[in-house]
Amino acid sequence: MALKQVSSNKCFEGFQKVFEHDSAELKCKMKFGIYLPPKAETGKCPVLYWLSGLTCTEQNFITKAAFQQAAAEHGLIVVAPDTSPRGCNIEGEDESWDFGTGAGFYVDATEDPWKTNYRMYSYVKDELPKLINANFPTDPERMSIFGHSMGGHGALILALKNPGKYKSVSAFAPICNPIQCQWGKKALGGYLGSDASKWEAYDATQLVKSYSGPRLDILIDQGKDDQFLSAGQLLPDNFIAACTEQKIPVVFRLQQGYDHSYFFIASFINDHIKHHAKYLNA
Amino acid sequence: LKVKETYCTITDLLPNTQYEFWVSALNASGISPPSERAVYVTAPSPPTIKNKKIQSCENAVLVCWESRDINPVDSYTVELSKLTDEENDDIITESIVGIPNCEVLIHLQPTQKYRICVRAQNLGGSSERSEPVLIHTTGTCFYLNEDTAHPLLAILDDGFTISCDELENPECDLPIYDNSFTRCIAILGSLIPFPGKHYWEVEVEEDTEYRTGVAFENTPRHGHLGANNSSWCMRHIITPSRHKYEFLHSGMTPDIRITIPPRRIGILLDYENCKLSFFNADIAQHLHTFNTHFQHYVHPCFALETPGILRIHTGITTPPWTALP
Repeated sequence: MALKQVSSNKCFEGFQKVFEHDSAELKCKMKFGIYLPPKAETGKCPVLYWLSGLTCTEQNFITKAAFQQAAAEHGLIVVAPDTSPRGCNIEGEDESWDFGTGAGFYVDATEDPWKTNYRMYSYVKDELPKLINANFPTDPERMSIFGHSMGGHGALILALKNPGKYKSVSAFAPICNPIQCQWGKKALGGYLGSDASKWEAYDATQLVKSYSGPRLDILIDQGKDDQFLSAGQLLPDNFIAACTEQKIPVVFRLQQGYDHSYFFIASFINDHIKHHAKYLNA
Repeated sequence: LKVKETYCTITDLLPNTQYEFWVSALNASGISPPSERAVYVTAPSPPTIKNKKIQSCENAVLVCWESRDINPVDSYTVELSKLTDEENDDIITESIVGIPNCEVLIHLQPTQKYRICVRAQNLGGSSERSEPVLIHTTGTCFYLNEDTAHPLLAILDDGFTISCDELENPECDLPIYDNSFTRCIAILGSLIPFPGKHYWEVEVEEDTEYRTGVAFENTPRHGHLGANNSSWCMRHIITPSRHKYEFLHSGMTPDIRITIPPRRIGILLDYENCKLSFFNADIAQHLHTFNTHFQHYVHPCFALETPGILRIHTGITTPPWTALP
């Protein structure tokens, strides 16, 4: 599990670093961003995992979201992996922006030619935390997860499929019900095959229906002027209805005038960091 | 009074009253001219502390009382005993003298018990101690201001439960006081005149539509809570398909969906950090925060929009999970 530091920049008295490693799960070199707050120099810190959306790399979040000040203030390590395996030379992986490279959808693929490398679910769930805990001053018992769009979907499904693993979860404009939207049908179909019943295991709205575990407290921000919301790709209403039915606590905020971009994320990132800090620092 | 000794005890005098006394001597030849007059003032009656109108928080208490005498007294003295577990709790730990009016703000320590009495003072001396009042500085306490209540809003006997039975004729002929709400079936709590953080809870029922939050003293009594810039509130409405929640100020609300209808709302008023936050207290879930610099102290406010009840809980220590909204 050798880590190679790619970059390091001092930020709010902590460090925004990027590392590269050989992933056993994904069978390729993977990069991730990690922010180490000032507190990490003297003690163990909780870890907050961020999952990015379609077309992103490990760079978008660390350069555009402006989260470092809040992370420093609350003493949180923030890890932002890439969104898919890279350079695997799989035929068709670069054909679309919403499938293949930059579009891992945080699943473990079962279909060829994806199943060898496209195992982002296991990567985020197991390999990455193990790596982070072995190499950085973390408190392994305190982990939370959040993300944007496809990453919001990833955060929700990881939290729902692993009760008790994450102390808190939140999302920006998540894809809430992939089995019902175009993006989801394309990706899940491509990675998991045409049997739609296999897709349910990676659909937050479906997973909520059978969730049983420690009580969650989910914060979701959604831009009202988000083109993908109006295009029916995100479907938060379905998720809210399922959570209402199953009595899962959610606060869903529809933000007037905001779109799907990192400008939207940057506007509300502080609220999300505080939401996680409340549970991670309790 | 005819006496044979050279002294006399006169009883049954009225308190807080000036008396003049003179003596004449009497013998077989007649009565002497009267002596010079001696003027005495009787000590006042002990005041009565307004028990139901105590306002307090973790760090302070505002005590009011009324005089039992018709004429004014010179001043009041407040005596404080901090109660510990030991037997000796009759020791007065603090005395505040020279209080001109019938109220005083006292700084206290958190999570302590105090016994407070008041004495009235005049030229004749000090009255007996008033009936004491016990204060436990666990959290912020306020009472409901009956004279702000809309005629259709009833305060139940415990003083902290409000109810509304029917909504007919919200602008009807029931007696309206100058200070009461006329359209919104609302009531104000007493002012929270202490800086810092204050927390209280409102227990609601799932099928009741309500508004609750804070308002300035001068919030229009013919207006609706949250519809103007002098009030902030959380509103619950029931539509055919779902529970709807609004967080109103100046008539505007963010668009927020909450999946679990709160049964117990925690309200945190933070004058210092300029925030008013609402929580589902049962699950420690943050719902919404208004970021406002309050120009004046505010009153808690409560309103019912359908028949139902709201139960208010005060004196609660601010829970730790309210720390990071």
